[in-house]
Amino acid sequence: MTLRTYVIRRLILIVPTFFFISMFVFALIHLAPGDPVLAMVRRNPPPPEVMAQIRRELGLDQPVYTQYLIWVGKVLRGDLGFSYVSYRPVWTMISEKVWNTLELMLVAEVVSVAIAIVLGVIAAVKHYSITDALCSLGALVGYSMPNFWMALMAILIFSMQLGWFPRYGMLTQGVTFATPFHALLDHLKHLVLPTAILVLGWTAYLFRMVRSSMLEVLRQDYITTARAKGLRERVVIYKHALRNALLPVVTYEAYSIGFLLGGAAVIENIFGWPGLGRLMVEQAGVRDYTTVMGLSMIIALMVLLANLCADIAYAVIDPRIRYD
Amino acid sequence: MIEPSCYERSNDFMPNRLSAKSKEETEEVFEPSKATQLYIVWRKLRRSELAVVGFGIVLAVSIVALVAPVIAPYGTGMVGRSRRPPSVEHWFGTDAAGRDMLTLVLYGARISLYVGLAAVFLNVMIGLAIGMVAGYFGGAIDEVLMRITDVILSLPELPLLIVTVTFFETRSIHVIVLVMGLIGWPFMARVVRGEFLAIREAAYVEAARSMGASSWRIIIRHILPNMFSTIIVIASMDIPWYILYEATLTFLGFGDPLSNSWGVLVQKGYLYLTSAWWMITFPGVALFFTSMGFNLFGDGLRDALDIRTRGR
Repeated sequence: MTLRTYVIRRLILIVPTFFFISMFVFALIHLAPGDPVLAMVRRNPPPPEVMAQIRRELGLDQPVYTQYLIWVGKVLRGDLGFSYVSYRPVWTMISEKVWNTLELMLVAEVVSVAIAIVLGVIAAVKHYSITDALCSLGALVGYSMPNFWMALMAILIFSMQLGWFPRYGMLTQGVTFATPFHALLDHLKHLVLPTAILVLGWTAYLFRMVRSSMLEVLRQDYITTARAKGLRERVVIYKHALRNALLPVVTYEAYSIGFLLGGAAVIENIFGWPGLGRLMVEQAGVRDYTTVMGLSMIIALMVLLANLCADIAYAVIDPRIRYD
Repeated sequence: MIEPSCYERSNDFMPNRLSAKSKEETEEVFEPSKATQLYIVWRKLRRSELAVVGFGIVLAVSIVALVAPVIAPYGTGMVGRSRRPPSVEHWFGTDAAGRDMLTLVLYGARISLYVGLAAVFLNVMIGLAIGMVAGYFGGAIDEVLMRITDVILSLPELPLLIVTVTFFETRSIHVIVLVMGLIGWPFMARVVRGEFLAIREAAYVEAARSMGASSWRIIIRHILPNMFSTIIVIASMDIPWYILYEATLTFLGFGDPLSNSWGVLVQKGYLYLTSAWWMITFPGVALFFTSMGFNLFGDGLRDALDIRTRGR
């Protein structure tokens, strides 16, 4: 089987999984206690007849499976529904924020992968050294520290006390920038703190993974063989060991995109970053079921696609893996 | 972390012998009267300083949680002026309501430990039940249960917790724990099922069956005890997660504002980020140390019991 057929087959397999997930989340949202109509009109509850009318118009008087089928039919036509809490189409709300989240996550991802691989290899090669101990200690601190607390401390120190970085938003409000370059610079300044927090937490996990995976590979016979052949240590480590050590890291990477999304939700809320995570928290807070449902689907899709990418990357990195 | 090889360390508790023997052999010969499972695990755990530090932190937090009313300098009500910085009377300062922060942080240990332990307990119970049923019956039941498991596992945990928690009208700390239990079991179920299938094929299970042992007896007496070490390791590594999840949920406004958990304290301190740094710093440090203690302990336990887990 070629790589192409493999990718196509995996893409087709995503469809049933996606349906299962949508069924699960739909059931979770619609079987839960709490009246969405009441949540919608909370500020000014109309008379019961009007409430019943709204319920009928939204199809909420139908049984859950009918509602689900209606919902699926709409989604297949590209309509994620209309949020009666925000009075906007769900898709518009999501599409204007999805890139902000992706930007945050991608930058954090790239930086942490780079740091984690470099430090992980060094720590594994110099096992039991001071460097190893320091890196491991740093990782321990990184993954034990609550993400949101770390963010608050960073705000306290770097934007309140030192005033180095802005603490809120993506761009300074109410300022006209002389050139697009100035705007970009201002944006990058806003980006530093949120990504730094994500990177700190994320690198800690990845580092542990790279290090332990690397330690295991370095014990293998083929590493001894490579050394016995007289290869330079650099070649042994980067060509023979690292390539194999990265395999489990790749799977882990994809598995954890959901984890990173959760972290981003917290960070976006604290730094006022207008992304999906913040939207999720805000809309869940006001019980905007339609938006939450749409968001959950987008997030699930992102996770599934990340898993697919990992499987493909796995197959590309490791020639031993067959596609069947 | 820094794992000293068992070779050099075995010198420590056997100073008068050559340490040429393997560690298993040493344990069998040495003090056989004490060689209970617990003792063996403890001795392996003791080899790693970091694991011992972790155990110490966990123990200290547990003791604080138990005796909080005795050691706390004040009651949890208003005891002084509002938002005073740390001083001799109030080591951690006071909060906006004039309550002593040290007292609140000490009491907070009770809630955080309760959340961590109770949520993980629920996970283990549900995970055990579902994993065993799936492993035992196999076939369609297995297929359906594992499909559900995969679906929940593929959704990010924190957003899922947020979505689920919003459906509850009252969000007491027990509701939070319940939701965590309901959301968090799939990984445990998958592990239990895998272990079940592996152990079922073991020679000693076959031997028991050939002696006419009933299915129940095999499950309870032979399969279940052999899963314990895996379950305990995963459970101990999950506890800090749920402690931090509770704090995060609370911070985002989906928690129980009346519980005075560390998350609630941080959230309240957030309002006074600029004017009262102590309100946010000390509960956060408490969270950090507790989760670090559990992480170290869990890592040590994993190494001592020689279990392979996913690194979360």
